[in-house]
Amino acid sequence: MEHDPHLQRVLDRMRSGVLSRDGFLGTDPRPLEEVLDADRSAVAALGTTHEEVAARLGEVLDKARAGLGTPIRIGDRLVATHREAMGRIPCPFGGCGTFPKGEVELTDPATGESLFLTALGIHMVGKHGFYQGRGSRYRLEPTALGRLMQLGGG
Amino acid sequence: MTDPSHAGGAAHLLVILVSAALTDNILLTRFLGMCSFLAISRQMKASVGLGLAVTFVTTITCAINAALYVWVLRPYGLESLQLILFIVVIAAFVQFMEMLIERLSLGLYYALGIFLPLITVNCAVLGAALFMTNRNYGVTEGLVFGFGSGFGWMLAIVLMAGIRERLKTARIPPALEGPGITLIIAGIIALGFVGFSGMVQP
Amino acid sequence: MDGVSFVLTSTVVVAATCLASAVVLLIAERYLANYGPCTIDINQGSKKLEVRGGKPLLATLMQQQIFIPSACGGRGTCAYCKVKITDGAPPIAPTELTLLTDEEQQKNVRISCQVKVRNDLAIEIPEALFRVKQFTGVVERMRDLTHDIRELRIRLVEPAAIEFTPGQYVQLEAPAYGDNPEPVYRAYSIASPPSDTGHVELIIRLVPNGICTTWVFTMLKEGDEVRFNGPYGEFRLAEGDAEMVWIAGGSGMAPFWGMTRHMREHNVQRPCTYFFGAVAQRDLFFTDEFHDLEKAMPGFRFVPALSGAENDGWTGEKGLITQVVERHLKDGSGKEGYLCGSSGMIDASVKILKAKGIPEDRIFYDKFT
Repeated sequence: MEHDPHLQRVLDRMRSGVLSRDGFLGTDPRPLEEVLDADRSAVAALGTTHEEVAARLGEVLDKARAGLGTPIRIGDRLVATHREAMGRIPCPFGGCGTFPKGEVELTDPATGESLFLTALGIHMVGKHGFYQGRGSRYRLEPTALGRLMQLGGG
Repeated sequence: MTDPSHAGGAAHLLVILVSAALTDNILLTRFLGMCSFLAISRQMKASVGLGLAVTFVTTITCAINAALYVWVLRPYGLESLQLILFIVVIAAFVQFMEMLIERLSLGLYYALGIFLPLITVNCAVLGAALFMTNRNYGVTEGLVFGFGSGFGWMLAIVLMAGIRERLKTARIPPALEGPGITLIIAGIIALGFVGFSGMVQP
Repeated sequence: MDGVSFVLTSTVVVAATCLASAVVLLIAERYLANYGPCTIDINQGSKKLEVRGGKPLLATLMQQQIFIPSACGGRGTCAYCKVKITDGAPPIAPTELTLLTDEEQQKNVRISCQVKVRNDLAIEIPEALFRVKQFTGVVERMRDLTHDIRELRIRLVEPAAIEFTPGQYVQLEAPAYGDNPEPVYRAYSIASPPSDTGHVELIIRLVPNGICTTWVFTMLKEGDEVRFNGPYGEFRLAEGDAEMVWIAGGSGMAPFWGMTRHMREHNVQRPCTYFFGAVAQRDLFFTDEFHDLEKAMPGFRFVPALSGAENDGWTGEKGLITQVVERHLKDGSGKEGYLCGSSGMIDASVKILKAKGIPEDRIFYDKFT
């Protein structure tokens, strides 16, 4: 059991069926700290920061939301489509308030690769360095992000 | 029932008390009860609260466990059951104390959070009980020893909390922040406590 | 001693110790965890409750048939169950601190599922909550309106009738199932008119990774029992005769479907244009029903619009719903706006309505988005 009561509460909120059906840790067997560490290194290897990633993703989210459900071109390669959902969802880390539900599917039509963005997911990237566990629908794998959005130095 | 190793009454008890609290400090000399020590020593208020709770638990459970040992286990030759029974007694007593604290001081209850039930698995508490039976202490001696051990644990955590408060304005290498620097300091305090060792002739 | 008597004695001793501990704890719980009777004074004496202390305020009020809205069922994650405690409040719990703003803390607003009733309390809650009840019903009919929108028609069992104003919502309980360990509650606007007192209709859209919608779409069947609380909400048609502009797509149609049928029953003559935005033809539903309503109510116009690229054969309006509103609405002065949808759609709609001259205080929408 987790000795840090605050972290234990965070983990409890990240489980499936508490805030969302599948939770935020997906099927990832690794403990939260390991997930955070691994993604931190991956992001550093891309040559960028959590805040930068979150800012870029936030731009995509805003553009897609303005489309009200129709696919929007992002850059010269990508397409983003917003699917609305009513209601708000709190951040499992606590103390950050609530975020509008709804997802944006960001696709590269050439490769067929897709990522799913949510307002909460982007907040957790920027503020907590949390990209969600493997197996989560909304996991933002840093290498996939780097490829899709050509982040960082490259 | 008289205690087998009874010599010089009050002075003997005083020696037990002082050695348990200082020279044989259950945390700094025996390194028991470290996890809550590391986590809670960040805040002075919570440290004092937890220290008092641990002292209370250790004192009473040592007394109960000593009574159990001297009056039930030893006469029937059941010393081998001490581990199981001590744990049952400690667990039940901590539960009781949780209810008590929640009733009397909700603020303290929230401040201690998960560390209150964690006292059950605080090895210092079980350790004190086992040291006690090892040395064949009677009930009164057990009570005093329990109090000394708990108080010694509280002393250590309060000392650490005070130091960590001062550390807030100090520059610490990032890799050592948190548990790293705390353990280093614990070691230094332990070295300091070795200076007490001349006080009590074993 | 020999083996057998050793085993016997040790068993007795261990059992006796455990039993003694259990008895001590039970007695302690009886006296320490028992907070005795407490009085809860609501809204400066307008209602006084005699309750047993020891449970969270949310659960205690629920037992007294006062239903504070809650989405997470008392687990301290949704922050819906805020209640103002003016007297007798215990120290604030760490779980509350993360959910309350500084301003709320100063105003004595607390998360009622995290506050244990230990002594007399004085609280303040909105008057409307007194009319909220807990309902059980049976799914009378479940039909798919589009590929991802489903309509539930629920026949009320206990209580057998519901009273509400069109535009209000209920909190539907999604029970524990599969990986979902505890019930959660999700808000859905009532889509049936108030005249149908024995039924409640809901229009629910499938949300990926949604706890409640997954249950509705994969597990719920006709004939199943459902539970919900309500009615909640301040979204309703304002008094007067002002011309109305409605904007809603997808499941946002729900409150308007109830409102139009209500208006028709009461022969309400207010001019009204309902802009229904969708992406493709497969997202449209109730188009025939609304065209019938257009014929029955002279002042009512239904304007569906498709924003997607491939919509050949569609002779109706095309473009984003905000663009369609822009084209049709010449002058908003003296008119009122009613919106239902996600926050993005609402923001965009508010912008266009304001640009057309409808003042912000005449634009209405449910703020739980």
